Amino acid sequence: MIEKKKKTNPWQHALQQLDEVAKRIDLEPWIHKKLRHPKRELIVSIPVRMDDGSVEVFTGYRVQHNITLGPAKGGIRYHPDVTLDEMRALAMWMTWKCAVVGFPYGGAKGGVACEPTKLSPQELERLTRRYTSEILGMIGPEKDIPAPDINTNSQVMAWIMDTYSVDRGYSVPGVVTGKPVVLGGSLGREEATGRGVFFTLLNTLKHLDQSIEEKKVVIQGFGKVGSVVAKLLHQEGAKIIAISEVDGGIYNPKGLDPEKVKAHRREAGSVVGFKDAEFITNEELFKLECDILIPAATEEQITEENAPQIKANIIVEAANGPTSPSADRILKSRKIFVVPDILANAGGVTVSYFEWVQAMQGYFWSEREVNLKLRDIMTRAFHRVLDVSLREKVDMRTAALMVAVKRVAEATRLRGLYP
Amino acid sequence: MLKKIECIIQPFKLEEVKEALKKIAVEGMTVTEVKGCGRQRGYTEEYAPDAPIRLLPKVKLEIVTEEEKVEEMISTIQSLAKTNKIGAGKIFVIPVEDVLRIRTKERGRIAID
Repeated sequence: MIEKKKKTNPWQHALQQLDEVAKRIDLEPWIHKKLRHPKRELIVSIPVRMDDGSVEVFTGYRVQHNITLGPAKGGIRYHPDVTLDEMRALAMWMTWKCAVVGFPYGGAKGGVACEPTKLSPQELERLTRRYTSEILGMIGPEKDIPAPDINTNSQVMAWIMDTYSVDRGYSVPGVVTGKPVVLGGSLGREEATGRGVFFTLLNTLKHLDQSIEEKKVVIQGFGKVGSVVAKLLHQEGAKIIAISEVDGGIYNPKGLDPEKVKAHRREAGSVVGFKDAEFITNEELFKLECDILIPAATEEQITEENAPQIKANIIVEAANGPTSPSADRILKSRKIFVVPDILANAGGVTVSYFEWVQAMQGYFWSEREVNLKLRDIMTRAFHRVLDVSLREKVDMRTAALMVAVKRVAEATRLRGLYP
Repeated sequence: MLKKIECIIQPFKLEEVKEALKKIAVEGMTVTEVKGCGRQRGYTEEYAPDAPIRLLPKVKLEIVTEEEKVEEMISTIQSLAKTNKIGAGKIFVIPVEDVLRIRTKERGRIAID
């Protein structure tokens, strides 16, 4: 088990990032001040009748950081650690993520503080419907469009869509993305984040004049994102030498077969115990001799303790905020090429955007079309950021934030301040 | 949606590729002997920026297929036409608006089945 370390307050972290970029791009003070404050925040109490007849009250949040470019977009997570500050930070990062890839969206995030593994499917449905009902005035296809995040999936999105539609009296598929395909979900949405990380890595290797074949890759996390990245990289001839989850990981210097690992995980519930590999801890994972490291689990996994020992020379952040601010400084000084989360994992929001566009048009694309458009968008965003990074001689994270903040600032400037 | 796969490969790879495509139920194809060059402008050994472009013999294969079969076909062609050297070729995927079989006047997907 990873020892629980005291995390940096994510909101302070996000504000600090904004302040640094504001200085670098010479942002007007009024725009800077406006961006430091979320547009709207809602805290709701969610009473839920439990299966045993008792009533529990959960706390839920929805934060819209910015809606200058268009409707707010952002996931909903169910997790015991959900706090208002975490929602604020994630909402701000969504604003930057949408801006860096160039979508007509602002940023939002929502969540309910709960332990979903302890809830029955019925309790989860009642919780979801009541939470939706409490934030109903805030969401809508032209206002704010939620999506799946940690511990929420297409079924949860279907319940949100249904609750919203019942209130309106007609079906509104565009109110959420990440829906089941039969309800207007997009083909390719499930694999989108992982596929986007994969394209980003290919673009990175091309820039560094390296080939994917025989590259040794270490992946932390084997869920919706990590498993897809592993599969695609394996197909291209990379060697996945280690994979870990919360309870530890597996290591084989000759390479693991992601399909077999997946099959084992389906039976055992974890990658641990896979027969063609030895057990390693999450801490050991970060010290492995490898070329590429892909954190695809949760926040703040790369810390000032393990950052000096990382052997990879490329890190692609598939998770949101996997690197602590102090670890980031260490990686920077060690000249490790880090592709930041807001760029690397933007594939999810990209296909969410496609889903919303398809829902608004009532016209659907083939999976191939979705994947090709995804590749195109990820590649263009990568080069937009890379150009700034090379021109301004800054790391990729700073460059991505510069691209994003500049875009939102330009829109804010043009719209002006009401009244 | 119909797509055309147009690929340029080394002539000595044609037989192998052709047979493999037959195995994955490709019914028809058009093969042309062509000449061309890539980024090396026809030169493989030395960098010669001022030399005239040299055109090397290649083979062009054209196959029209349904969208669902595209990935299987391009991975078949890719794995067999690969030479591990520059000049192995390229694969293009192009949208096809319509197809007509002249003898029967069939159009669209049924015209290639």
